[in-house]
Amino acid sequence: MQHTMARVAGVDAIARGIYLLRLHAPDLLAQGISPGQFVHIRLPGAGQQRLLRRPISVMAARPQEGVLDLAIQTVGPGTLALCGARPGDTLAVLGPLGRGFDAGQAQRIFFVGGGVGVAPIRFAMDAFAPGRRCAAFFGFRGAAFAYGIQQAPCPVQVTTDDGGLGARGQVSDLLRAAIEEEPPDLILACGPTPMLRTVQRLAVPEKIPCQLSLEEYMACGLGACLVCACKTRAMDGQGAYRRVCVDGPVFPAEEVCFDG
Amino acid sequence: MADLAVRLCGVRLKNPVIAASGTFGFGREFHQLYDIGRLGGISVKGLTLEPRGGNAPHRMAETPSGMLNAVGLQNPGVDAFIARDLPWLLERGLAVIVNIAGNSVEDYCRMAEKLAPTGAHMLEMNISCPNVKQGGVAFGTQPDSIYQVTRAVKARAAQPLMVKLSPNVADIAENARAAQAGGADCISLINTLTGVAVDVRRRRMALGNNVGGLSGPAIRPLALRMVWQASRAVSIPVVGMGGIMTGEDALAFLLCGASAVMVGTANFADPFACPRILQELDTLLAEQHVRKLEEVVGAVIEN
Repeated sequence: MQHTMARVAGVDAIARGIYLLRLHAPDLLAQGISPGQFVHIRLPGAGQQRLLRRPISVMAARPQEGVLDLAIQTVGPGTLALCGARPGDTLAVLGPLGRGFDAGQAQRIFFVGGGVGVAPIRFAMDAFAPGRRCAAFFGFRGAAFAYGIQQAPCPVQVTTDDGGLGARGQVSDLLRAAIEEEPPDLILACGPTPMLRTVQRLAVPEKIPCQLSLEEYMACGLGACLVCACKTRAMDGQGAYRRVCVDGPVFPAEEVCFDG
Repeated sequence: MADLAVRLCGVRLKNPVIAASGTFGFGREFHQLYDIGRLGGISVKGLTLEPRGGNAPHRMAETPSGMLNAVGLQNPGVDAFIARDLPWLLERGLAVIVNIAGNSVEDYCRMAEKLAPTGAHMLEMNISCPNVKQGGVAFGTQPDSIYQVTRAVKARAAQPLMVKLSPNVADIAENARAAQAGGADCISLINTLTGVAVDVRRRRMALGNNVGGLSGPAIRPLALRMVWQASRAVSIPVVGMGGIMTGEDALAFLLCGASAVMVGTANFADPFACPRILQELDTLLAEQHVRKLEEVVGAVIEN
């Protein structure tokens, strides 16, 4: 983990409401970042209205250039401020944080991403898919919201809510059909909660190893403040709540409770 | 360079900056970033007699210049803290203030007894945590109940007792006097203010617990006013907190009568907030030719 002042190398709109923020952060990259990990970024001009940092997952790490690619969805004033950064600006960045995906010895991996959750999944694909038999399934609201599909290291199937790109429907429909055809050794997923819940229901009863990347509001990002709790089945001294920031954000699917 | 050392009811702090309870865990996480031994002290994450799992998510909502939290006192229990975390903290070289919360006078007393034989330097009694349903009024809202619980715990405590006052009251001075009358060695204030946030798109309360505690710079003027009023009402030392983000903020609290300050929410915006505030305070005091910290405590000029 490293705290650094990163220079903004570029900010580009890559889909409706999604920007690619490229940060020059060689010292942070030197720590080694694995897919599924995130960085905690202080908002430009912080100290006034919006105090808290924003946890942003990594879409690509380019150690040779010293550049980190982050896909940011503009959901509120904080993320809008981040996407309003200009090349040459500096941002305070803490990272890499959290536990990422673990491909282990899996030979056949299914990657499942929805919306902004495609970003860490694409990082996982680029890291794990070469040399393995893999397939990816991305879901978007519509064609204008799609990104991360080009130059993928494995076949990508897309669904959209309106059928404007790929098949019409839910990404889980494609996943279900692919599992029935030939189950994978591992499923890695990141996206909205309803999508993750469906992926969990498809994978866990079939005993397919599956890892889900969760999202929760965070304050410290370090594991100290306990605000980013998620309910899991794993019991320890502190009950069933675990911290998304350090125990996750990636959890084994069978441990996650989506019931509250 | 000014002498920043503070003696707080017999406990020596090398400087007046203390990490506030609930924002700093038991210190291990922030120690990955810097040596927490540089700080004057740490008030540890609030402990209860038995382990607590905490509230359902969401536990936090960001608000203008602040945040609401409703963690629900998730903690491993006082016994686990004494066995696993306290020995490590005591080796760090900063004052260890153990924050305790309870649902009955007996809870507080039993925790004070368990902590008595340990090397912990001070107890901070949370009598006002707004995010735990007590099925009744919190201890911290009535002078009489503040007096009663302080007196009972003081009788069992081996370490100096700091009583953390709630701002959700009509008359902070009266409550400060009640804590002093009950035997408190010092008081700390303010705890968070109760509030709610609404997710209008889902037409739902933003927090799992509905109600949370508001912290951050949004509450600073109110905190400063209460520290000023409380410090004038009692003769015991006062530890001030509420939205301190900079060395200037810390100095304002000292001028209003705080002998030391606690830094909480700022740790989230800037994980190096505590050492930075300490450095900024040091620079400010040097500019004002202050030789000893106590010269500025309560030295605000009133109009």
